[in-house]
Amino acid sequence: MKKKRHHLWKNIMIMAAVFLVASGSSIILQKTGVYEHITAIFIFAVFLTSILTDGYIYGIVSALVGTLAVNYAYTYPFYALNFRFQGNMVSAVVMMAIAVLTGMLTTQVKTHEAIKAESEKERMRANLLRAVSHDIRTPLTTIYGASTTLLESGDNYTKEQRIKILKGIQEDSDWLVRMVENLLSITRIDEGRIKIIKTPTVLDELIDSVMVKFHKRYPQQEVHLDLPEDIIVIPMDAILIEQVIFNLLENAVLHADGMTELILKVFVLGQQVVFEVSDDGCGIEKERLSGIFNGSYHLFEDKASSADSQKHNSGIGLSVCQTIIKAHDGVIAAENNAKGGAVFRFSLNREETSESE
Amino acid sequence: MNNKYKILLVEDEQNISTLVMTMLETAGYQVIPAGTCAMAKTLFISYCPDLVILDLGLPDMDGMTFLKEVRKNSLTPIIVLSARTNERDKVLALDSGANDYVTKPFGAAELLARIRSALRNCSHSADSGKLPGGRFSVQDLEILYDARQVFIKGREIKLTQTEYNIVALLSEHCGKMMTYSAIIKGVWGYPDEGSVKKLQVNMANIRKKFGVKPGEATYITNELGVGYRMNSD
Repeated sequence: MKKKRHHLWKNIMIMAAVFLVASGSSIILQKTGVYEHITAIFIFAVFLTSILTDGYIYGIVSALVGTLAVNYAYTYPFYALNFRFQGNMVSAVVMMAIAVLTGMLTTQVKTHEAIKAESEKERMRANLLRAVSHDIRTPLTTIYGASTTLLESGDNYTKEQRIKILKGIQEDSDWLVRMVENLLSITRIDEGRIKIIKTPTVLDELIDSVMVKFHKRYPQQEVHLDLPEDIIVIPMDAILIEQVIFNLLENAVLHADGMTELILKVFVLGQQVVFEVSDDGCGIEKERLSGIFNGSYHLFEDKASSADSQKHNSGIGLSVCQTIIKAHDGVIAAENNAKGGAVFRFSLNREETSESE
Repeated sequence: MNNKYKILLVEDEQNISTLVMTMLETAGYQVIPAGTCAMAKTLFISYCPDLVILDLGLPDMDGMTFLKEVRKNSLTPIIVLSARTNERDKVLALDSGANDYVTKPFGAAELLARIRSALRNCSHSADSGKLPGGRFSVQDLEILYDARQVFIKGREIKLTQTEYNIVALLSEHCGKMMTYSAIIKGVWGYPDEGSVKKLQVNMANIRKKFGVKPGEATYITNELGVGYRMNSD
């Protein structure tokens, strides 16, 4: 409701501004004694108003006012309305026609664009849902199967076997938890607000929080940290950025076969802070690299390797990362290290430091 | 005659309630289950539990209502157990008087640790962790309140005034998750635009001075977007 009113005012302001500029230049022209182009100026004004405002109504209003103004002030007889003079009628009709036609055209283009954006969004959502349902089914199968087995014939198994089955249940539900967290992150962005709420966050606190969560999940995996000495403040939705770093670290653990070292490096580059997660594992296949952030990676993997379905997919995690970084006006990229292994890198804008505290 | 801690478990989901009950009973607590807010209120008055575990999404009313009602005239530790993972919900619950906040899904070990921490904190509530002579000690960390000195493994750590005030405040509420605004109010007295940032900068410096690497969470737990807690063990 408020937004609508805001739009109304914006449109009226645009209309008024264009009209004032047109009148102003007409007066100047009139003073210098050039009359013949005044109608053209108002026609142009009507055209501009129709393009810049929403719908037809503002264009038509400005055409009406323009016709009257031209007729009254700028054409013979001056400062009197006269519709008997043929030229005046013609310019009035032309202005009305331009207003209506431009209005129709721009409205059409605008709706078309909106529909296109909407369908693109729908398509992405459908892709995501498809990928998610597929990914969720695998661990659910394990959990369901394992718990049924234990309930129905648990006595037939040795204690070690039972623990193994239970561990499987635990691992897969753990994975589901993180998947749900990723999906929740997306809804945080999609929750109707285009802009996420950024709060200035101190880098050390962010890294500390991520590392606590990561150590809890992967106690065996060491991460080599390389952080700047200075205190760095970055405006961000900390929970989301935390999710991105966690996803990137976890991806390395799950997918970088043969990894011996996992590095999280953060450095400042001008106004930007660059986060870099690198490993010395198997790297990423070239064909996967291009579409790695937008789910096409997922479709590819479906065909290529049904054998390692045991190892869950990272497609969702990475497209979540991309969505989050994009919402922060940042950039995310993946590449292979020259020495072998993969590098994931994203950058965020740091807080502008006008005052030095 | 038993001498077990009594825990009021307010949870409407039958599966979770059974699970938590088994967990707590195995750990040696006496559990009083309640499925609704109304029931919880009655049981709270008649049993006087030592601790409350509270789910926020209850059928008859929001768990927050119960939380606020209990806090009007009781300091019984309350641990909120909720599926709401948003920082805003956490901050709201903590600022309304919850001692801690555990999000679902949770591990048994974690929940039990939080319960122990909350109970320990309460049992010497006035001087939580404080030893005679205004001394606080947990793990290798020692604070002498009168001298305003902080030691780790017997070595003195030089803190600024603000840093000391933060550490002292957290230690006085050891085991309790303190929200940003609660700490800011305690240390600076008033909040302003950059105070969360100021607090985070100070915390980062304190961690460095304590010689704790990011991710170790040795003395102080950092819950991003919510607050800090001094670990009680």
